[in-house]
Amino acid sequence: MTDVVRLESLYKTYDGGVTALDGVTASFPAGSFTAVMGPSGSGKSTLLQCAAGLDRPTGGRVFIDGTELTATKDTAMTKFRRTRVSFVFQDYNLLPSLTVEQNVVLPLRLAGRRADRHRVRETLDRLGLGDRLGELPERLSGGQRQRVAIARALVADPAVIFADEPTGALDLRSAREVLALLRSLQRTIIMVTHDPVAASYADSVLFLADGRLAGSLRAPTADAVAERLAHLGDRVGVAA
Amino acid sequence: MIAVALRNLRHRPGGFVATFLSALLGAALIMAFASLIDTASGADAASNESLVTTASVGGGWCLVIVAFAVTSTLTLAVRQREQQITLLRSVGATGPQVRRMIVGEALAVALLAAAVAVPVGWLLGRVLVNLLHNTGQVASTVDPAFGPIALGAGFGVTLLGSLVAAFATARRTGNQGRQRQRPLLRRIGAGLFLLIGANCAVLTATLMDGKGIDAMQTAGQAGIWASIGLALLAPELLRLVTAVLGPVVRLFGAPGGLALRGPRLSSAVMPVLLFTGIATGTVYMQGIEDRAAAGQVEPDYAQDIQTLNYVVVGMITVFVAIMLVNTLIAATTHRRREFAQHRLAGATRGQVTAMVALEGVLITVTGVLGGLVASLFTVLPFGSARADRLWPDASPAAFALVAAIAVVLTASALIQTTRRTLHGPATAAVRA
Repeated sequence: MTDVVRLESLYKTYDGGVTALDGVTASFPAGSFTAVMGPSGSGKSTLLQCAAGLDRPTGGRVFIDGTELTATKDTAMTKFRRTRVSFVFQDYNLLPSLTVEQNVVLPLRLAGRRADRHRVRETLDRLGLGDRLGELPERLSGGQRQRVAIARALVADPAVIFADEPTGALDLRSAREVLALLRSLQRTIIMVTHDPVAASYADSVLFLADGRLAGSLRAPTADAVAERLAHLGDRVGVAA
Repeated sequence: MIAVALRNLRHRPGGFVATFLSALLGAALIMAFASLIDTASGADAASNESLVTTASVGGGWCLVIVAFAVTSTLTLAVRQREQQITLLRSVGATGPQVRRMIVGEALAVALLAAAVAVPVGWLLGRVLVNLLHNTGQVASTVDPAFGPIALGAGFGVTLLGSLVAAFATARRTGNQGRQRQRPLLRRIGAGLFLLIGANCAVLTATLMDGKGIDAMQTAGQAGIWASIGLALLAPELLRLVTAVLGPVVRLFGAPGGLALRGPRLSSAVMPVLLFTGIATGTVYMQGIEDRAAAGQVEPDYAQDIQTLNYVVVGMITVFVAIMLVNTLIAATTHRRREFAQHRLAGATRGQVTAMVALEGVLITVTGVLGGLVASLFTVLPFGSARADRLWPDASPAAFALVAAIAVVLTASALIQTTRRTLHGPATAAVRA
């Protein structure tokens, strides 16, 4: 089995009757970089949260790295995520009181795992942050902060990295650098974005509309993605 | 903006509970003591003197505490709403407009609190006069009165105190961006208060030696000034304790390491330190006095003073409890986002709670030790003046009780608010 993440008919209904996910089935092969796209309210953030074990779907099953996510208690879900999943967020979510290096090893320390100092340094070096180890996040630029977040995701050596609008707060150049970096990692990455340019860095794009899959695109270009997005409304259900 | 201020009060009264409570208590106590002066106006000379003395001693205490409590609760009530204020600014509110809103809110709360305090103050005033009747210090023919001085002092002090506190708070919110702490000014203030405390301590041990119970005046003050001085040094003291206890805290694994590196909650050390310092000092001072006076002929007001001392300790306990709980709730709620980030990085709720609990240990240890040092400013010189021995011949049980109260207050407030802050999914909290 080479699918690192598999979703089987996921449903998510919020209190008050809003249906965010309406039967989504999808799988993400090992080493693939997938962008999930859709207009606001299409359920892409909910999909990411359910797939990553941050939230419980109302119905359906989630498999990560061959194991089904069955935990329902917060602590158990946290422990499940720790060993399998890492995150990169739009607003970085670095802890302001910790240095770059401390932020990077935080998930390992929380999991009670030993941080391989050498490996941490090497990773940060590779991301061009080798000379900022002792710096606090507030002294870094947005692009640098996002690279720290990526280093943090990498050091835990997860089965899959989830990225939620990772370039949403970055200027064009930093955004391009971060995206190129994500692509060069050769890891399983699932990225939610609304930016066609960002999506064009992925191996494939999955479109969502009204909580359902609305097609996919292999080897996407920014223009093709934008075109598809523009007509998503009138082509719901049509496969690529 | 006044309209916005009033709408805020109606919309979210919970945010102002602490400010209201401390203003209410303060106003009631000040009214009670000030009513003694109302009472004194129609009394004989001896009663008059006794009433005015009690009023000025008790009232003085109240002033200090009210100023401290109202300022701290108000500052936090405003700081908690940074988001709302940023929003107001972004829709076009000018700095002065925001300031007017904050001052308006504070005045409305103070006015309401003072009004509610009137019956409470009236009742407390009667209790005080009754007390003085019982000890024979005030002739039983003197009837308790509640007049213009009580009302004037109560409303005046509460409104003025809130106004000053609001202006200070508003100015800090006005200049957006980083709130620069001014450590130099704070340290100079701390040094000044400690010097005054030391001066009072020396006076007690020298000038007041052999003056019996009168030495309490300077001895009591020495402890208060020292407590305030040390409370101002809370950030430094907390850093010191953190450095010393670091190796122990680190034994608790990841939460321990995080507790040492997290934002330091020195604002929570202040109330713990003030409480421990003033309560310990006063209780042991009274203990020394009781032992020294045994078998001696004591002035007839000795018993008054004993009662007053315990009343003061009780008052301070209530005030400090409000301040402490308020500070901790505000500081913890403010960290909702930080907690959520920890959880997204893989911390369980238990780990976050453990981190906060360890921070609480550091706060309590700093506050209790600092308070113990401050209380020595009262206890040692008074012991030397009254009983000719520096170290009191008393059991540490009273101090243990004071420390236990500090621990229970800190722990319950911290754990409760952390639990509440951790409620719900981390993804929602991180966006909030």
